[in-house]
Amino acid sequence: MSTYLITTILFVIMVAVFVICSMKLKSPEISMAITGVVGALVGFFLIDGMDFPVRILVEGLFINLDLAISFICASIFVNMYSYSGAMTAVTRKLVGTFNNKWILLTFMAIFMLIPGALTGAGSISVFVMGGLVATVVRYMGVSEKKTAAFVFIFAILSAACPPINLWTMIITAQCNMPYVGFTWLLSVPIAIVGIFTIIFLGWGSKRAPKEQILAELPEAPEKMNIIRILLPLVVVIGLILLTLYAAFDVPVIGLPLTFLIGTVVVIICNPVKRTFKEYFKVINDTMEQVFPLVATVLSVGVLQESMTQIGVKGLIGVTFITMPMILIFVFVLFFAAFAQGSLSYGSAIIIGAPLVFMYNTMGFDTTIACAALSLMFPIGDCLPPSRITGRLTCETVGYKGSYMSFLKQVAIPCLVLGAIALVMFIHPAWFKFLK
Amino acid sequence: MLVFWQTVIHYLYFVIAAIIAFFFIKNFFKREKRTNLVYDIVYAYCVIPFVLRVLFVK
Repeated sequence: MSTYLITTILFVIMVAVFVICSMKLKSPEISMAITGVVGALVGFFLIDGMDFPVRILVEGLFINLDLAISFICASIFVNMYSYSGAMTAVTRKLVGTFNNKWILLTFMAIFMLIPGALTGAGSISVFVMGGLVATVVRYMGVSEKKTAAFVFIFAILSAACPPINLWTMIITAQCNMPYVGFTWLLSVPIAIVGIFTIIFLGWGSKRAPKEQILAELPEAPEKMNIIRILLPLVVVIGLILLTLYAAFDVPVIGLPLTFLIGTVVVIICNPVKRTFKEYFKVINDTMEQVFPLVATVLSVGVLQESMTQIGVKGLIGVTFITMPMILIFVFVLFFAAFAQGSLSYGSAIIIGAPLVFMYNTMGFDTTIACAALSLMFPIGDCLPPSRITGRLTCETVGYKGSYMSFLKQVAIPCLVLGAIALVMFIHPAWFKFLK
Repeated sequence: MLVFWQTVIHYLYFVIAAIIAFFFIKNFFKREKRTNLVYDIVYAYCVIPFVLRVLFVK
């Protein structure tokens, strides 16, 4: 059998196993892990020189370990922050200060963009600001489904937002390109989609009177003042900015430790003194709450490692890149999104870099093509099998409807983002003024 | 000085991994949500990387 045929068979087997496991076990985490292990097991018998799958399982678990630790620490920070009553105080202050729905929605959109823009991960935006933003947006009369969509869209936009866009950074690193000239190329489309999303989701909602909202909101702790509210957030954002802009003068703290330092500040700033047992319970509940997500990112690692080892990842990339140009234009949006859904940031490696190389040989503007691709990939954050940001949004916001109804709600803003990215990808020359 | 702090942070991450492993093992035996067998298996394999990290294996 040819290598192409073997990898195609393995790909079909993996898809079948994932579908069957998802239907029978009702757990995307274990379905991905089983798919990875089965793919590696079959590959072990079909491919000469393949390692035994146990190694793939263990190594795969380490691929996204840092991300998992970041998620856990970010969740602990946010839950401690909420537990201290600061989140309620912020919500009360915002609702009390601004009486205009559109101004508040715009502020919420900017709040959502900041953590993701600084860290490069939309999920961090959902963790840090998702709960607060969802509460305020709900009080603007926006439905549960639209609130979840609002948080999700701005989370994925925050991941693509400069200064840190991981897809662009991966592609530029692979292509020996400087990570320069992307600020406006990314910011302008994000601003357009952001404005569209605010209008699209906020249209028709009716804000309840300020007095009614404040009466419904729980009371903030008595001694909770502006310093106690802002200090933990300032410390976290300050540390992230320090590592970005004073990288040679401070040690590499890393996001997990940054969030834990923020947690310590939250405990110090808490006006109500709590016992160790109470804080232990908050952390334990957080661990249970965040576990499905942690399991998802770890299982995605197993799937990625398996796909890499048995050649399925390469098969997907090569098949796409060798298609006629017109078909690449037709399918790039769907392919980039689904590649992100299954391979996470690996999508930038398997199709991003080869496409940019191809554009280079054709004489097209590679910077604009790279920016366009990095605007397409985030759309896949709500697609199976991983759907990390999508699931996280539903859990953080507390959306009880079906996942399909959530997907339908986010479809239009995602398509607008995709359409802009696609035009940039097909006609890079039109966007040279943004460089 | 920077190197000293870098080393401290390096070891702090092992401590963080140990704390997470502790909570995962605790929840593996006793938890309130998702108590079925499927999640027993998920907990079992998710704790592996944290334990290996704590043991300096990887």
